[in-house]
Amino acid sequence: MGSVNRREFLTATGAGLAGILAAGVPPARGQQREISYLCWNNFAPNSDKKLAEIGQRFTKDTGIKLKIDHISHMGPQQNKYASEVQTQAGHDMVEMRMHFPWLYEPQLVDVSDVVAELEKKYGKALSSSYEGAHVNGVWRAVPQYHGMFVATYREDLFKKASLKVPDTWEELYVVGKELKKMGNPVGIPISQNYDSISTAGPVLWSFGGMEVDKDGKTVRINSPATVQTIEWYKKMFRDCMEPEVLSWSDASNNESIQQGKAGWIHNPVSAYIVAKQRKLVTADGINHHRSLGGPHGRHETDTPRHIGIWKFSKNIEASKEWIRYLLGKRETYDEYIMAGDAFNLPVYEKLQDHPVLRTDPKYAALRGEGVQYHTYGWPAPASDKVQLITNSYILPNMIAKAVTGTSTKDSIAWAETEMKKILAG
Amino acid sequence: MPVARRPLMKRVLIHLGLLPFLIFALFPFYHMTLTSLKKDRELYDRHAVPLIIRQGPTLEHYSKLLWETEFLTWTKNSLMVTILATGISVVIGTVAAYALARLRFVGVSSFGTGIFVTYLVPTSLLFLPLAQVVNWLGLADSKWALILTYPTFLVPFCTWLLMGYFRTVPKEVEECAMVDGATRIQALWRIVLPIAIPGLVCAVLFAFTLSWNEFIYALTFTSSSEQLTASVGVTSELIRGDIYFWGSLMAGAILGSVPIVILYVFFLDYYVSGLTAGAIK
Amino acid sequence: MAAVRADEIPVPRGRPRPVARLRTWLDRESVLGPVLVTPAMLLLVLLVAYPFVMALYFSLSNAFIGRPSHFIGIRNFVHLWDSDAFRQTFQNAFVFTGIAVAFKLVMGISLALLLNEQLWFKRMIRGAVLLPWVIPTALSTLGWWWMFNSLYSVVNWTGIALGVMDPPGPNWLGQKYYAMAAVVTVNVWRGLPFFAITILAALVAIPRELYEAAEADGANANARFWHITLPLLKPVLAVVVLFSTIFTFSDFNIVYILTHGGPINSTHLFATLSRMLGLEVGRIGEGAAVSLYLFPLLAFVVWAQLRFVRKQAY
Repeated sequence: MGSVNRREFLTATGAGLAGILAAGVPPARGQQREISYLCWNNFAPNSDKKLAEIGQRFTKDTGIKLKIDHISHMGPQQNKYASEVQTQAGHDMVEMRMHFPWLYEPQLVDVSDVVAELEKKYGKALSSSYEGAHVNGVWRAVPQYHGMFVATYREDLFKKASLKVPDTWEELYVVGKELKKMGNPVGIPISQNYDSISTAGPVLWSFGGMEVDKDGKTVRINSPATVQTIEWYKKMFRDCMEPEVLSWSDASNNESIQQGKAGWIHNPVSAYIVAKQRKLVTADGINHHRSLGGPHGRHETDTPRHIGIWKFSKNIEASKEWIRYLLGKRETYDEYIMAGDAFNLPVYEKLQDHPVLRTDPKYAALRGEGVQYHTYGWPAPASDKVQLITNSYILPNMIAKAVTGTSTKDSIAWAETEMKKILAG
Repeated sequence: MPVARRPLMKRVLIHLGLLPFLIFALFPFYHMTLTSLKKDRELYDRHAVPLIIRQGPTLEHYSKLLWETEFLTWTKNSLMVTILATGISVVIGTVAAYALARLRFVGVSSFGTGIFVTYLVPTSLLFLPLAQVVNWLGLADSKWALILTYPTFLVPFCTWLLMGYFRTVPKEVEECAMVDGATRIQALWRIVLPIAIPGLVCAVLFAFTLSWNEFIYALTFTSSSEQLTASVGVTSELIRGDIYFWGSLMAGAILGSVPIVILYVFFLDYYVSGLTAGAIK
Repeated sequence: MAAVRADEIPVPRGRPRPVARLRTWLDRESVLGPVLVTPAMLLLVLLVAYPFVMALYFSLSNAFIGRPSHFIGIRNFVHLWDSDAFRQTFQNAFVFTGIAVAFKLVMGISLALLLNEQLWFKRMIRGAVLLPWVIPTALSTLGWWWMFNSLYSVVNWTGIALGVMDPPGPNWLGQKYYAMAAVVTVNVWRGLPFFAITILAALVAIPRELYEAAEADGANANARFWHITLPLLKPVLAVVVLFSTIFTFSDFNIVYILTHGGPINSTHLFATLSRMLGLEVGRIGEGAAVSLYLFPLLAFVVWAQLRFVRKQAY
């Protein structure tokens, strides 16, 4: 971050950037602006390094000092947002994921202008980003990238047994039976963790079901689609999986396929990437295929991440400049994505077929043609009550009850009562 | 049986009886060390033997921990917080303990009870409101919040410990000094404290250990990577999403304990006598 | 020799009078006492008593992160009983504390008795025994986390190798009762040294003559233990058990790292549930209410300590 002649900070490096900067931002004479950005420890460490690099170029080009802080996505992160909001002081920008913009709506700046520019260039933002960052008619955070779930399977085992690569959840059941007989069962967790919700959701959506309706108030879990979902899980549990899935953690399915046990799991690309990095025996046999569909479409869970600006920031315009710098220029955005090694993929329509997917033929399925991405709780808007339903793991608990002996009817009734209680309280 | 042999048999049996306890106490450390030195390939192999290293040890987990994470910063933070909090607490605790053990004044027993009671108020009750207080003071996400709040549980403990030690200093020693013209403060500083040094060392050691061990305040009051203490850093930043870096997690656990182990090895007797002193009260 | 009162000591000339007056004033017990105790009291009032009152206030409000809060009376406390998670936590706390303290007590006495004997390598053994208590709990719990890992658990491996378990062995941290067993094990592992060393100190203080006299009277080892050792240990045992109860009941580290309260809330304690509700979900009011459920037990322990045990203390 070298020193820059303050009068020259308006020097632009791209057409778009110049136009935006010339739109009336007064030169800050005698004042070097400084902004800070709090973001997560990226799953791909190179991505963090690349971000720092881009940040330094930003400072050189615009004269705005940029401080990037990192935070773990676990414990510390929750207090961080809370404490910044309470003290009305902290970073200018924060990286948010999924529905966080809903939780902090009153504290976030309206960034619809920035998003509109990006959408004009790159096409509309994906459905999940829209659901997560577009709150009550206003964009409260700028969609950045996402990591999505995808089917991860042992291609070598499938080939050996001449199994057909499934395209629907029903087809998964058919191959799953064979896989279990081979000693490589399907691995879908049914326990209190996010992986469980991330599979239960798509299955439910693919059958046309939902937890809470679009209005955010009506509980719709008691429906034929839910019955179908539960029946599907029951037969999967009985014929294609082993009871250990009832006590799995978020890492268990990764470890199971990396270890050579599971034949098929539903997971982001992390399982494969880590197997590659650790040079495990199974790495060569793992591949991905497109997310599965059902009678009501092809739905999938993903974890979009967006950048939000706190209202209390004193550098809102400068923050927007940074966001535009990082995401607004195609080359920079691409650079940033490439550093993420397929962990982070762009969330705008026209960028779906991204070069990073070609760095390894096994990333082809991540292109997600015809897949609709949603975050937890879809289609209900992500109010804090709906998020509490998700965080109380009602959906996986309902399924766990059903596969371990409770009748389908009773399990659904229990889930309905719990969800209604939360919406009422 | 010859008399000399029976005690030997008994001794052997006693040591055998201790063996399970020793294994129970030490095995986790052995396993942690082993894991931190195993190659990833062997570590994540379900068919490998977890009790030994077969494919050769490696230092990659340690180097990853030291060079690719902010572990050194976290350790520095822990040291800073612990040393300052210990210093503050021992000073405050010493003067309070002297007053409560030696002086008569209005409310001495209520103060004493008050300090004792506060020690029993768990940190897990206070962390939520303290988070607000810390925010108000502008210390959110800062190790200074820890330096400020750690004394809340260190001071009562030190006071209680040191009261016991001060009581063992014979009153006559002080009275002699005062007769010779010293003020109470001078007597405290020049006569009583030197005698109570073992107690002070004990207090410092325990304060250091309790402070290094503290977790919930550290987890709540610090968030950014560069403010974390060793415990919080190791437990949160070596897990990214659903990827656990077990080798480095164990390496972090081992290295994070090193300062305490060093103190422990040199001052073992003080630790024992400190706990012992608690028992005789 | 009559003691000379501090304010009768002649003040050397040339010294400014205010300082001398200050020194003699400070030298009075009734003044010095409060002065020396003030820093401690100030610290504790501002950072313990005041937050405690704040916790009370939060629990009686609907405080949520980043939003203004309103007084709602005891609704939080009542509402919590509707929650599956809370009822489970309440049960967990007592089960966890009861079992862990019982184990620590019995094992602590046994270990202390063994340590009281004449030993080879006495210092090293004592050092080894005390080690789990000294090492930071969060870090040693990481080691146990790995030891109980669902795929790679060394506990399972050993159990299977010794033939006491069927492969693949239980998923310790993923199944209800096993998870509780796991957290109790770690708590006992960590707390046992405290019991053992403290009880050992008390054992050492028992005069040998008592045992010798009893032996002469024909009492065997068993009788000596029950009729001499145990009764004399009672005061120390009471202190240790009461202290341990408080710290075990309010434990946070072990559950947070090992199971985060799961599976299905079966290992949640008040501390971990409070943090989840208060900071992860954002409902500070409910979080504070949960943590205040610690208070009755705390009050009871304090009362018990003050009544039965604090005879010599102050």
